[in-house]
Amino acid sequence: MAELTFTPVIGIEIHIRLKTDTKIFCSCSTNPESEPNTNICPVCMGLPGSLPRLNHTVVEKGMLAGLALNCTVQPKSLFFRKSYFYPDLPKGYQISQCDLPVVANGYIEVHDAEGNLKKIRVNHLHLEEDAAAMHHSASDGRLEGASTSYVDYNRAGMPLGEIVSEPDISSSAEAVEYAMNLQRRVRYAGASDADLDKGMMRFDANVSLKCSDGRWGRKVEVKNMNSFRALERAIEFEIKRQKKILLSGGEILQETRHWNDAKGITSPSRVKEFYRKFIVEPDLPPLMVNQEWIDKVTAMMPEMPDVRANRYVNDWGLPREVAEVLTDDKALADYFEACVKAGANPVRAAHWVRTEVLRVMNERGQKIADFAMKPEVLAGLVVRVDEGKLSTTQGKEVFDYMVANDASIDDAVKALGITEGGVAGNALNDIITSVIAANPDVLEEIRSGRDKKGKKLKFLQGLVMKETKGQAKPQEVAEAIAEAVK
Amino acid sequence: MELYELNLHDAISGLKDKKFSASELFASCKARIDALEPNVRAFITRTDSTPQPCENPEGLLAGIPTVLKDNLCTTGIRTTAASKILGGWRPPYDATAWKYLRESGAILMGKVNMDEFAMGNTCGNSAFGPTHNPNDISRVPGGSSGGSAAAVSAGYVPFSLGSDTGGSIRQPASFCGVYGLKPTYGMVSRYGLISYGSSLDQIGPFARTVRDLQLVMSVLAQYDPMDSSCFREKNPDFTHREDVSLKGKRVALVKEFQSFTLDAPIAEAMKKTRKVLEDEGAIITEVSLPVVAKYAVACYYALAMSEAHTNLERYDGVRLGYTVTDAAGVKEMFEEVRSYGFGSEVKSRIIAGTCLTEPSRCDEYYVAATKVRTLIAQEFARAFGETDFILQPVTPSLPHKIGEEDDDAMKGYETDLYTLPVNLAGLPGLSFFTGYALGQPSLTPPNLGGEQGGNPSAQRGLPVGLQLIGPRWSDPELLNAGVILERNLGTPKIANGGID
Repeated sequence: MAELTFTPVIGIEIHIRLKTDTKIFCSCSTNPESEPNTNICPVCMGLPGSLPRLNHTVVEKGMLAGLALNCTVQPKSLFFRKSYFYPDLPKGYQISQCDLPVVANGYIEVHDAEGNLKKIRVNHLHLEEDAAAMHHSASDGRLEGASTSYVDYNRAGMPLGEIVSEPDISSSAEAVEYAMNLQRRVRYAGASDADLDKGMMRFDANVSLKCSDGRWGRKVEVKNMNSFRALERAIEFEIKRQKKILLSGGEILQETRHWNDAKGITSPSRVKEFYRKFIVEPDLPPLMVNQEWIDKVTAMMPEMPDVRANRYVNDWGLPREVAEVLTDDKALADYFEACVKAGANPVRAAHWVRTEVLRVMNERGQKIADFAMKPEVLAGLVVRVDEGKLSTTQGKEVFDYMVANDASIDDAVKALGITEGGVAGNALNDIITSVIAANPDVLEEIRSGRDKKGKKLKFLQGLVMKETKGQAKPQEVAEAIAEAVK
Repeated sequence: MELYELNLHDAISGLKDKKFSASELFASCKARIDALEPNVRAFITRTDSTPQPCENPEGLLAGIPTVLKDNLCTTGIRTTAASKILGGWRPPYDATAWKYLRESGAILMGKVNMDEFAMGNTCGNSAFGPTHNPNDISRVPGGSSGGSAAAVSAGYVPFSLGSDTGGSIRQPASFCGVYGLKPTYGMVSRYGLISYGSSLDQIGPFARTVRDLQLVMSVLAQYDPMDSSCFREKNPDFTHREDVSLKGKRVALVKEFQSFTLDAPIAEAMKKTRKVLEDEGAIITEVSLPVVAKYAVACYYALAMSEAHTNLERYDGVRLGYTVTDAAGVKEMFEEVRSYGFGSEVKSRIIAGTCLTEPSRCDEYYVAATKVRTLIAQEFARAFGETDFILQPVTPSLPHKIGEEDDDAMKGYETDLYTLPVNLAGLPGLSFFTGYALGQPSLTPPNLGGEQGGNPSAQRGLPVGLQLIGPRWSDPELLNAGVILERNLGTPKIANGGID
């Protein structure tokens, strides 16, 4: 009997916080730094008589995120009431677009196990409101067993986009690449900061296994993954767990499981799945998006990272790897392109940004937005090095001085005592004359022919180079000294 | 004549001409309330111990006393929806409709009774006890806006606000002998109205003349960005005009309703009104509404209960209202709060709504009802291609005695057939006074003790109202027609609330 093999079938649901100043159905601030329960109003508290009103910026951000995932904007979408009882849900129902979303039918590409590109279909992105945040006094931070629970309604009504993939993912590696690619693309589109540390991006995974004997295990939904690493580990764990059950002839239960990051395991959700039903939200008319609006938002869409990287490779001859590093973050790529626009050679500019700028940012833990040196200024430096006015080493010294002292190029050059274009001609001859004058015994040794191996000549060259602070060309120095000692 | 007897228009003119002061008007209304309230019991919360300040002495309604149905939020004033579950909740904001009245200078006398969460048609499903019909205090005032209708009928205030989800303005207006308008859905902002069936709810006024309804509507009918269902294609003009005419206007009866039984006074009122319309030059015609006749009641309750049970999910004791502090856990807390806080009618509608939307049945009931609703709206739209107005009863019978029909809930539902299709289609409906039912056997004076010789209102007979319906956004035309009907049929008298 042939050994059984298993193919994981994985779909991912990703919630992203859409980037707006105000909540989805009221004008309360979305500032995550605010004191608990200060960004609240009758609407997001679900007070009797209050009514939601749709924030159109949320719709635009949802459309941008959707377009970034190659989705199509739907001319008509609806909102529903998704009911369940929980203290974090002010109205007892969540307003969500559920199955009639604003954008649908997209895809993102990932690499499969053989390294080939593979499309992961995106079923849709739908808009919905976030629930309040709860803090429980129980040691495990969960509601059961807690003597006291606190609710922060600042989060209630924060705008979310839920992105639902088709079950096209076959491994944890593909899942992580899908999620990272998605994060990069929605960030590019300006739709979400998708900051995992701030809870702006959360993952649920549906995992099932297809067995080579024709059996197909039931779908298990795994929740509570808040990092790429957790997503990867949870899927790995779930694949192993299900495989073991199927190999022993067992049945996979269709259930929701909770990822415990500390223990590295999934366990059945202790909170019973709430009974859910949907009715059309009667307080919100259908969301109609006309072509004009679609055109406006499409025009707001920036070039996506993969397209941009291809352009760097094809038009500017950048190595693929450098192009990908630069385009990982839109702001960094924008910075690089601004350097090019200011006159820097693309390959050189790319090298500078990749090595020097990223080094400083990493050292300082900065984002490109906090980097003080304007791209035009960096471009000026790159051009001077290119033109040979500064050596590469000098250029780096100047760069470091500029960064450290927030100085201009000229000030840095001056402060570092650099002679642009290097020390040559009369200036070099003057230095050589004074060096020889200061070392008559060495000169005597050379002239007497005792310096057979040229060691003394090298010694003089070294002294001269030192005097010029390395700003003379070694070949020139050697020739000039040879001439001077004759 | 006492000042409380003045209708809204005359009260406004009197104040403007300085024939009397706002405080005199206030005092007269307050005295009237003090005198009748032990019998009528329209109030849940009175706010008239001292006059509330007038916010706009130059406003249209400056100094005019009014009351609000207790499902309209009022800043700092207890708002209950006639339910225990809201406890002593004081909203931190005003319903937009009240805000508009307040900004026009109206003075709040209090919050009035209703069926709990507007579920009912007797004003008897209230945690605060029933309100009595001022025309005959042994009878129901109708509902759910029974307190609002009774307050205007009893002369407490010249006008009031109620809400209408399936007839909750028109039926009590008819039972109490006042005018009531259920405006086109979207004509008046719902912001701050505690929801029952959100796609059906609409706020509207009660008054003792049609002209007064026009005055109130001119204040209420404003766009409000806080309500996404509030929108208007055009600016409605509610200016009162005497030169309006029904000449050549088509008024239709509904073919399918003609075989239904009506109480004799109501059938009589239909005849009388038809004659008036013909005399005014209107053409009486007939429209067919087969889907409405067959499915409207089922469709209405499926939708109303489905929406209602979600609207009521927010009452969990966590943020506001009635709560418990000793529950074993969060689930137990929800159970205890909701078991105690809701009345039985509300509970039965929550359970019905939950069943109707339960995943395995949702398509068969809720989704089907949304489709039937579309058919009903289309049917009305077609009908209004053939007619300008539809004339029909508000209810098939006159108000029954308090407690009489409480056992048979389904009969109560059936009596809404004439009113609730209007909500399903989002149409405006005017409940208008046609006269008093004299000499009807069913209307012999209640036994109030021989020495009183019966209740004068009861001797006069119970008021009989009918309903005129127009296409969406025809509210101004509907009220113009109402002006002509009032001119011919007479203006209702203030009811005496069981006091000689």
